[in-house]
Formats: sequence, structure tokens, C-alpha cells
Amino acid sequence: MIYNYLGNYSLVFCLIFSLIIFFLCFKSINDPRKIIEKNIFSLLFLQLLTIIISFFSLIILFVLSDFSNETVYNHSHTTKPIFYKISGSWGNHEGSLLLWLFVLVLFIFIFSLTSKKHPKKYRIFTIIFHEIIVLGFIIFLLSVSNPFNMNYPIPYEGLGLNPILQDPALAIHPPILYLGYVGSSIIFSSALAALVQGYVNKNWASHIKKWIIISWIFLTLGIMIGSIWAYYELGWGGFWFWDAVENVSLMPWFCLTALLHTIIVLEKRNILKSWTLILSIATFILSLGGTFLVRSGILNSVHTFANDPSRGIFILIFLFIIIFLSVIIFFLFQIEESTSRKTFFLSKETSLIINNWFMMYFLSVVLIGTTYPIFLEVLTSDKVSVGPPFYNKLLIPFLIPFFVVMAFGPKLQWIKTKFSKIKYTNFFYFFISLAASVFIIRYSEAKYLFSTAIFVTSFILLIKTIEGFFEKKNNFSQKLSHFSFSIFILSILLNGAFSTEFSANMKQGDELNINNNSIKFINLKTLNKNNYKTVITTFEIKDKQGRILKFNPEVRIYNQPEILTSEADIKSNIFSDKFLVVNLLKDDGYFNVRYQVKPFMSWIWFSIILLTIGGILSFFRKI
Amino acid sequence: MYGKKVKLRILFLSLALLAAVLTIFLILKSLEENVVYFKSPTEIKNINELSDKKIRVGGLVKKGSILSSAEKINFVITDFKNEISVSYKGAVPNLFAEGKGVVAEGFLKDRNFLVAKKILAKHDENYMPPEVKKALENN
Amino acid sequence: MKKKIIFFCVFLSFLFIFFIFFKSIYNKNYYTPQEFTKNYINFEAKELFTKKDFNSNQLFLDEKITIINIWASWCIPCLQEHKYLMNLKNNNNINLIGLNYKDKENNAKKFIYKNGNPYDLILTDNEGIISIELGAFGVPETFIIQNKKIIKKYIGPLNQQNIIEIKNIITK
Repeated sequence: MIYNYLGNYSLVFCLIFSLIIFFLCFKSINDPRKIIEKNIFSLLFLQLLTIIISFFSLIILFVLSDFSNETVYNHSHTTKPIFYKISGSWGNHEGSLLLWLFVLVLFIFIFSLTSKKHPKKYRIFTIIFHEIIVLGFIIFLLSVSNPFNMNYPIPYEGLGLNPILQDPALAIHPPILYLGYVGSSIIFSSALAALVQGYVNKNWASHIKKWIIISWIFLTLGIMIGSIWAYYELGWGGFWFWDAVENVSLMPWFCLTALLHTIIVLEKRNILKSWTLILSIATFILSLGGTFLVRSGILNSVHTFANDPSRGIFILIFLFIIIFLSVIIFFLFQIEESTSRKTFFLSKETSLIINNWFMMYFLSVVLIGTTYPIFLEVLTSDKVSVGPPFYNKLLIPFLIPFFVVMAFGPKLQWIKTKFSKIKYTNFFYFFISLAASVFIIRYSEAKYLFSTAIFVTSFILLIKTIEGFFEKKNNFSQKLSHFSFSIFILSILLNGAFSTEFSANMKQGDELNINNNSIKFINLKTLNKNNYKTVITTFEIKDKQGRILKFNPEVRIYNQPEILTSEADIKSNIFSDKFLVVNLLKDDGYFNVRYQVKPFMSWIWFSIILLTIGGILSFFRKI
Repeated sequence: MYGKKVKLRILFLSLALLAAVLTIFLILKSLEENVVYFKSPTEIKNINELSDKKIRVGGLVKKGSILSSAEKINFVITDFKNEISVSYKGAVPNLFAEGKGVVAEGFLKDRNFLVAKKILAKHDENYMPPEVKKALENN
Repeated sequence: MKKKIIFFCVFLSFLFIFFIFFKSIYNKNYYTPQEFTKNYINFEAKELFTKKDFNSNQLFLDEKITIINIWASWCIPCLQEHKYLMNLKNNNNINLIGLNYKDKENNAKKFIYKNGNPYDLILTDNEGIISIELGAFGVPETFIIQNKKIIKKYIGPLNQQNIIEIKNIITK
């Protein structure tokens, strides 16, 4: 009970501090002294403290299962394990926004401490722009989605026992994703401040690069954890469905990846200033817009959240205030592009710009595919959905030139590379890749010409990135990231080309033959667990060589709320995952069985982890 | 007339513009081909022409309508006004059950029959109508 | 000059996007079935205390108005509307049926002992099937049935005004 008040009032105090910080910052702009007043720092610290108190009171409310709190009542239950009680505090709408706010305030505090080398006015403006965002979120929390609303009379038991959401991957997925999203808010406010102060230069670039890398790492990890969850929990056997909610997290990723590359150009050559700023602003707007689309429930998605419109309206208005603010500032202040220095076509700059073009293309495909149904419904009231064929058709062909650029781009030098420098070993690589691809295509059922092209280019990419490790240039993090990206692409391609799937409805004792494999439903037993009943089935799969594999997929029937979940049995080794999932249709003895062999699944996850390690290394690298 | 630099810049700009126009055209074109329309059973009853394009039908799975055999599953989607039979071969998602919301994607054979290629079930189980939610908040 | 034109283009396009999103917020969720207008109901259910089986045909036989109220002991708004339901208790013109939705038997009984029993009959719907048959989305919901037809439906807890409305229907 007491924590309700504690949490609520510290949020109110946070609002007050935010307003005082505004006031002090505006006063400080005209102050001729070179250093920022100490009291701004202490206020930022106090603000952080209030948010920490508020956030931890919510966690304590969850741990104590205090159902006098409405959020706890809606999303928790006394029989939940303690770990999920804690993770439940940020797994819902109100809590997740509180987490957003927490990370926002934490990041601006870290920013103000670590930017001492930079001009005072630029730092002050960054704090001002950031506090606008903070203020928006506090008002949003306090007005329409307060996590500390009270219930009366106090219920005995909570409602939230959705077993699908009780999962370790899903527990850490939102915080990590949010670190990525919120990291982009620092980039946003510092970009606007740099624009206002005319500070868009090499110094700014090398300073903000660290923040870009941090948000990129967290965003990448967050997306990966989300798709791991979808892979083993939703029971569909895929890891990416081009679902609107997934797309929403992918869009800032494209933007951030483009920014990650552009900022290097700005840092080294002091060009592409406006473009860098546009990307910085766009990344944050896409993150915020993504939150809006997911939380307002206007997306046509299988992960829909029930919601009331007033919240949607609030985020929408806030989002567009931010957009219009940045557009006005962008057009109001002049950016001085240094045009004097020449850039030739065959250079690192060009290849990085081409990388940006590709990223923008991928981004616009995903953006249009995701928002098109919304537009169409309003304009013509037709309800449509855009599925995977759309994305496959528009994205995959463009990967071919993209890989080529990515393979050769990093080898080029700044300003100008002589054509004669390009070595003939590349022809040799090309033939190796061609041979390998033809070999692969013959054993899969893929389309000939097209798949060959994409396999060839991705093999070339792999070889070139491996070659990179033997070169003298001391840029290990970039090499590692590009290498793991090529592994990632290859494992997805191989996974797509060699995945096999089989599904049927089977009764106990049935045996079926498919492609020389036999699948046999041996038995099932029912067990009663704490809050669910489980049906454990046993299957035997005999492959061509006569090896027998046993699978024990489960169907769980939870009580309160009554939910059926399928627990897939996944046998994974280095080369492939074997995935068996069953589903209870109704009480007539039939089980819906789905068996999949997915090669190189673990390589996909492994390569993404390697990719982020590359990012981490580059974060700690001295410039 | 113009300097070499200006010419190059014009060339570059027009190329970029062309690329942008082409991209938009390409995206819109394939949107047209790959979009799947969503209809309720009632809307399907009222359409004039059956097309052979993929379609999504949404509603609730009618109580007692799931019939499963070794090969396929048959069930009925209802919106309480009209109904449509669905035949499906393949794996169903976790939350597929009688009386629950469902979306079936596939091809219409006639106004009463859909051959589904994919079944989607709604993920969020705690659905509450907005009216109730509001009442709770006013409490 | 050129800059201004670009600025207005960008501004207008964002304004357009804002307008679209604004409108779409109020659009209904895709998966929710349309408004309910079904005119024939048929189900079977057990009584909560006596465990006797009832068929809907024997309940809705006569011209008398039947009110079905879906409730559960775990549902907070149900408690709130309970006092209004108590208002309708012992009204000879109506047949007030409680439908206990996805509840534990003991909790349901406790709820009734503690808060009073406004119902003429309490049926159980442990699997929620009858509620779906009726076209209910959640708890609480109230249906007014006459001649085997649903003539009125209330979603969410009843309030004083609803009760006046219901009384008007009864006296008609």
C-alpha cells in the first residue's frame, strides 16, 4: 500500500525536478561562465533518484503481490515464480513506460557526466531537448497510464498468469530492446543541440559514436532475444514472421545501422553533415513511433495488445510534437557543409553512402509494408495484411548487390582508390563461390539462377571478410562484425534452402512414412502439476540411416486463465535443429503434429552474438 | 555552358530521383500483388465476385465445429451472423481452440467454403472489451 | 525559397500521416467479431448448489422476462453491480438467472453467502462455452431475454440507470 504512494509521489517529484532543470538550463545559456552550474547536475541526480524509487516501488509491489495496485492486479498472480513477478513489472504497458522513463533519465545523467570535454552550450541544449522527452513521458505516465492506480476493494487474487508470457527470454527482451530505443533518444537530443549550436563536426561525431554503438548493440540483442522467444515458444518453428510488431523493432535498426556507418564518414572526413542529422532524428522518431504503433493497438498483428484510445492519442500527439519540433529546428538552422575537399567515385566514402542507400531502401520497404494496411483502412476501409511474400520479393533480390558492395567496400581507401589496386585473386574467389553455390543448389529445391546468384555473392562476402583478418589494417571490431554478418546471412540462406517440414494429425500408435523417415507416436501420459495439467507425448523418428531419435513434446493446459500451450521439443546440435511440436485439437484423440528439420539454426543466434561482440569491441576501442 | 561540376551534380541528382521513383513504384506494385484482404464471414456473403486471390477470414471458431482427421482439420468460423467452413491441412497455433478468435488465410472456393493455407490465432489472451476496461478504471 | 517549399512539403506530409494515425486509433480491432444479434439460444447447464441439469428451453418457456447475468467471484466489477442486482431480487415479473463464469465452486458459493443471493437460479459455466453461445465477451455482462430472444444486452457492470431501464422494460 505504502509503495503505491511512494511510487506515485516520486513520479510527481520527478516532474517538478524536470521543470526546474528547464528553468536552470535556460538561465544557464546566457551565463558567460564556461562550466555548467553544479545544481543542474545535482538536480539530474535527484531526478534519477526519484525514478529509481518509483521503479523499485513497482517491483516491490509485484514481489509482494500487492493487489491494491491495479497494474499488479492485472498482470500478476500469487502462484507466479518470483522471477516472473519481477519481470512482470516491466512486461506490461504501464511498467514498460516507467522503464522507458527510467532509462531516459539514467542516460541523460550519464551523458552529462561524460561530455565534459565539449562546449557548455551544446551540453545545455542536449539536456533541454532530452528533458522535453522526459517531460512528455512523465505526463503520459501520470495522466493516462499511471502504474500506481489503486484498486478498491482489494482483490484476493491477480489476473495475470498468462503462461505464454512466463518465459526467461521474454522477461529480459523488453529492457534490452528499450536500452536500444532510449539510447537513440540521446542521439536525437544531442543531434538537435549540435545543430542549434553549429557543433556538427568531427569532435561531435567521435563523441556521439559511442552512444550510437551502445544503442546499436542493445537493439540488435533485443531483436535477437525476441525472435529466439518466437522460435521456441510460439511453436511455429520460424524465427521471423514479418509481423508488424517485429517490423517495428527492425526499422530503427536499419536506421541505426546506416547511422553507424555514416558517423564514421563524418568523423574522418567532416562531410555528410545534414544526412547524419536526418538519420539521428529519424532513428529516434522510428523508435518512438514504433512504441506508439505497438501500444496503441492499431497494428494488425498476432501480438495485439488490447488498449484504450486515450493512450494512443497521447503518444500520437507527443510523437508529432517531437517530429514537428525537429523538422522546424532542422530547417531553421543552417548547416555548413564543407564542400572544398573532393571525393572520387571509387572510395570508402562512396561505399559507405551506398550502404546507406541500401539501408534506406530496406527501411522504406518495411515501413511501407507495415503502415500500408493502416493507411488503406482509413482511406478505403478495406482491411488488408501484408505478408512475408511481399518482403521476400522486395528485399532478397537487392541483397545481391548489397553483398557485393559490402564485400569490397571496406577494402577501399578514403578519398580515392586506384582501380589497378584491385587484385586478380578476386576472380579466384568468385570461382570458388560459384562452385560451392552450385554444389549447394543441387541438393536443395531452390530456384536455380536466382539462388545461385545470392549464394555466390554471400560466399564472396564470407571469403572477403575472412581475408580481411589477414590484412594489416588494425580494425578488428569491424572485421569481426562483417565476418559474423556474412555467417549470419549464410546460415539464414542455408536454413531456408534445406529446411524440411512435415505435419499431420496423428493418434496414439500411428506411424507415418515421409521421405524415408518414419515418425511414430508411441504413447502419451498426463501429469498434474502445480498450476497446469500436462500431456507428455513420446515420438520416435527413424531417419534414413536407421538412427532413432526420441522426442517428448508437451501440451500444457493451464487453469486460470485457461490456456493451452505447446512446448516444442527441440534437439539441436551444431549443424541442425530438429523441432517437434504437438497441439491438442480437441478431445478426440487426434494430435496435430509438426516436425521440422532446420539446419544451422544455432549458427544464426551465434553469429548475432558475434556481431554484437564486434560492436562491444568497437565501443572500447580508442579512436 | 555549365561547369563540369554542376553537370555532374545534376546527373547525380536526377539519378537519385529516378532511383527513388523506381523504388516507390516497385514497392507499390508488389504491394498490390501481395496484399491479403481481411474479411468477416458476413462480408464474404456480400461480395459480388469471387476472386482467386488469397484472403483472410476472421472471427470465432464455432463451438463444437472442429473435426479432425489424419489428413486435415475442418472447422467453422462465425461472426454470429454468418458462418464459413474452413478446411486446413497443416499445423495449428497454440491458441487455436473452439470459441476463440481465429484468422484463417487461404483461398475461397465459394461463399461458404475456404481452403486455408495458414491459421493464425490471437496471441493476447487477456482480451477485455474496452467498455469493461473503462469500468474497471473508473472503479 | 527552395528550402521553404521543402519545409512545407515535409510539414504537410507529416500532418497527413498524423491525420491517418489519428483516425485509425478509433478503428475497431480487426479480430473482434461484429455486433451481436442472434435470436435463438440453446444450451444446457448445471445448477451451482443442487447440481441439477437445466435446459434453456425449459427456462425461457413463457412470456416472462428472463435476465441472465454473467458473473464470477474473481471479478471486481461484479461485486460493484451486486447491490443493484439485489434491487431486482424477489421481483415476480422476472426470472433472474446468474451464470457463474469460469469460477471455482467454493469461491462462488462463498461470494453468494457473503454478499447475498439476488438470483432465482444460478447456473455454472465452467468452460465459458455458454457465455460464448450467448455472445458475451467477458464478465460481467447482462442479457435480457423475452420469447427466447435477446432484446437487450449490457456489457460491463450495471449501474443505477441500467436498473431503472430494466424496471421500465419489465413494467411495459
